[in-house]
Order: sequence, then structure tokens, then C-alpha cells
Amino acid sequence: MMEQIIEVNNLVKSFGDKPALKNVDFCVRKGETIGFLGPSGSGKTTTIKILTAQLAATAGDVRVFGEPAHLLKDPARMKKIGILTDNSGLYDRLTVQDNLALYADLYGVRKERIREVLAMVNLLGEERTPVKKLSKGMKQRVTLARAILHKPALLFLDEPTSALDPTTTKQIHEGLRELNREGTTIFLTTHDMDEAEALCDRVAFLHDGEIKLFDTPQNLRTMSGSPTISLLLKDKTTVTVEPDESGAAAIAGYMASGNLLTIHSNEPTLGDLFVQLTGRNL
Amino acid sequence: MTSFSIKRVNAIFVKDWKDLQRNSYVLFTLALPLFFAAWLGRIGEDSAEMIAFPIVFALVIAGAFVQAAMVAEEKEKNTLRGLLLSPASVTEVFVGKSLLSGIMTVAVVTGCIWLAEFKVPSLPLFALSIVIALVLFLAIGTLLGLLSRTVMETSIIGMPVMLIFGMSSMFKSMITNETILTVLDYLPNELLMKIWSGLESGSFVGESFLILTVWALVSVAATVVVYRKRRMD
Repeated sequence: MMEQIIEVNNLVKSFGDKPALKNVDFCVRKGETIGFLGPSGSGKTTTIKILTAQLAATAGDVRVFGEPAHLLKDPARMKKIGILTDNSGLYDRLTVQDNLALYADLYGVRKERIREVLAMVNLLGEERTPVKKLSKGMKQRVTLARAILHKPALLFLDEPTSALDPTTTKQIHEGLRELNREGTTIFLTTHDMDEAEALCDRVAFLHDGEIKLFDTPQNLRTMSGSPTISLLLKDKTTVTVEPDESGAAAIAGYMASGNLLTIHSNEPTLGDLFVQLTGRNL
Repeated sequence: MTSFSIKRVNAIFVKDWKDLQRNSYVLFTLALPLFFAAWLGRIGEDSAEMIAFPIVFALVIAGAFVQAAMVAEEKEKNTLRGLLLSPASVTEVFVGKSLLSGIMTVAVVTGCIWLAEFKVPSLPLFALSIVIALVLFLAIGTLLGLLSRTVMETSIIGMPVMLIFGMSSMFKSMITNETILTVLDYLPNELLMKIWSGLESGSFVGESFLILTVWALVSVAATVVVYRKRRMD
């Protein structure tokens, strides 16, 4: 059986009498990339804060690396995790290099690693730039570089690519895949379905503090019904057929008559399924 | 098991030192007691209380205010969270931060002594009184920083502290109530003045040292309690 890095049973978190998480159960296996998807206020950040011992659970059992999450504060344990949250701060007056050098020293990482992570987040050449002169997206990349500086065994990412342009997002996704291939387990929250599909082995739909579904992106897509097939004909009309025998016959007919221009499948997206399930958009 | 790493403390100290050199607010705050001491030195003030005042003022401003501003800024900019989520322990974080404030306070106190032409009585015991006061004011500064949400707020919350702990001697002549005057006698600044004048005249200062130490221990304990209550969201 694969080693479980995170185990959560009956997790409840309330702020006063307002419930934020209601009996949440899930586990994350070693080497997986797990995505928690949900709109703002669904409980994603609360989950990360509890898993990283920033917040105490109201009830339930939360284990990280087989031990209660609140024990994570021990320096040896902290070296195994990396965290990027939406409010991870940087020292504005210090340079990018100085910000990362501090954490290299705290984690006992050689300074050469700073160049490696800056290359990954596309910030090579900005080492001497004071952080206050960077754009919001660049600051986000420095924060990400800081989170992966020590090649953590478990990486928590809270909306890692929000505020980033598509090119940088793609670059960061590639870097995260590389980290994952090297053995880092990744737990990320996002409201970007494309990001979840691109990175995650399994995805949880979080809504109103509850996990509505938790499965592979492929299995989740099939839950919202079979994909249909759209045919664009030469007279610019579109015909939709089912992926069955009658559909195959129709496609063959259009092809034989030379009337078929394009053909593509209409697979349901995770976004479609989320709306179908919760009645609201991400 | 909790460990203590000098390397991590040094990393925080180096970061704070680099940051301090670019922090005009803190640099200006550190310079204030020096200006005041230089002014007293120039006007040739020779009352023992007035000459000792810049040293107490330096301890309050450089020790408590600078420490409070540094801790509050870490909170305001969410960088304290990052440090506490790193392998650095709470002790390492606060020792690292206090180290710089402590060194800067000693430098400012030394500068004030020189500028105000204060004659140091019995260097070892004077130094001991400064060390105890340093622990006290750094703890108060950390406490103020933890209680404030922003650097600006430290000025508001810290003002009564500065008035009571740093300047109460100046208001004594305006107070006639015996009870209040007795209470003022037990404040750290009064105790420091008593210790220094006692050292100069050769009178007994053990009781004042003891009360000052109690102040320092209570401040450290209060800071630890407040941190534990506020460490989580």
C-alpha cells in the first residue's frame, strides 16, 4: 500500500458558530499532486492552514507524515514541507537574493540553489532587484521560489498561479511537474479548472466546507455524462451526434458524401461538472 | 525535540541588519535619543537626573520602540508568518530579532553617555543594570509589536509606555498624590536612576536591582503568554 502523507478524518472547523469545514475526510498518497477546487469561501485556505499547523481544527483527526498536524512546528519536520499561501510576505526593502538567502540559511540549503529556483520561476537576472520594485506577479514567483528552495517532500500551494500571465503559469506548471517527478507530493488549492486538470492526479470539489467529489480529473469528467461529437459541415451547419453506432454511421455518411469539414469531441470540463453539482461557478 | 540553532539566529540577524540600513523610520527613531543627549551635553546640564534621562530615553526608544516596530512590521507584511512556518523556532526568531535591537540599543546608550557627558559609576554594576533594563525593554517592545497590527499602531499603543516608563520622572514635580508618587518610585526608569545615583554615592542598590529584575522577568513572561495566545489565526 502506498504511503499516506496526509490523512484527514472527520475534520471540522468553525469560526464562532459559522462552520468552515464540515466532516472533511481525505488522504494524500506519497508522490501525488492533489487539487482542492472551490470558489472563494469554500474552505480551501482553511484546510491548508490546518494542515500546516497555522490553525487548530475544531474537531477531527489531521495527520501529516503520520503525525498530528500540530506537531509540524518542529524544525526537522518543517524542513520537509514548503508553503506558498496567498499572503506569504516578502521583505520589500531587501533584494530578491537577500530574501531567498535568508530562507536558504534557515533551511540549510546551499546558496547555488537560489539560481536554480530563480531559473524555474523565470526570474534570473532579478537577483539584485529590491522586492518593492517587482510587479505583483513577480513577487508571487519569488514567494514560490522560496517555497521550493529546499526541495520539500510535501508542498502546499494556495492559488499558486493567481495573478500570473499565461507564459509564466505554463513555466511554473512545468517546474511543479518536475518537482513532482523528483518525489515532491503537492497539495494545491485553485479555482482554475485548467490548472487542476494540468497538474493534479486527483481533484476534490470543495463547496460550503464539504468535499462533494474526490477523484481523478478523467473520472470526474465522465461523471457528467458521455461526451458528444460535433461535426462542422461544408455548408457551415453543425451537427451533434452521440458516440455510439448511430453516430458512427452518421459520421461515415458525411465523410462519404465529402460534406464533412471538421470533427471534434465535446468533453465535459471539470467546470461544467462543478456547476452541475453545486449550482455555482468557480 | 526543540533545538536552538545559532546559524538560524544569525540568518535572522543578518536579514534584520540589511533591512535596518534601508529603514528610515527605525534609523530616525534610533537617532532621537542621540540628538537629545547631544543637546543636553551642549547646554551644560549638570543635574544628575537630567543627564541620566537620555540613557533611560535611549533604552525606551531604541529598546522598546524599535523592537516593537520591527515585530509589528513583520506582522503587517506577513513575513513573521513565513519565519514561523520555516524551521526557525519561535525562540530563534525572537532572539534573532532582539539581538539586533539589543546591539543597536547598547550603541545608542553608549553614544548618549558620551554625548551627555554622563559619568559612569562602577562600570560592572552599571553594565548589569543596562543588561537587565535591555531585557525588560526588549520584552516590552516585543509585546507591543505583537499587540499592534501595524507599525503605525505601535506608536499609538507605545506612547503611554514611553510616557510612563521613560518620562515619568519629568512629571513627578507636578504630582502631589503620595500614592502615585510611591508607585512611580517602583517604575523601571526611577529604579535605574536610583541604581545609578546609589552607585555614585556608594549607597545600597540591591533592592532596586531586585525589583528591576522582577520587572524584566514579568515582562518576558507576559510576552510569552501573549505570543502563545496570538500565534494562531
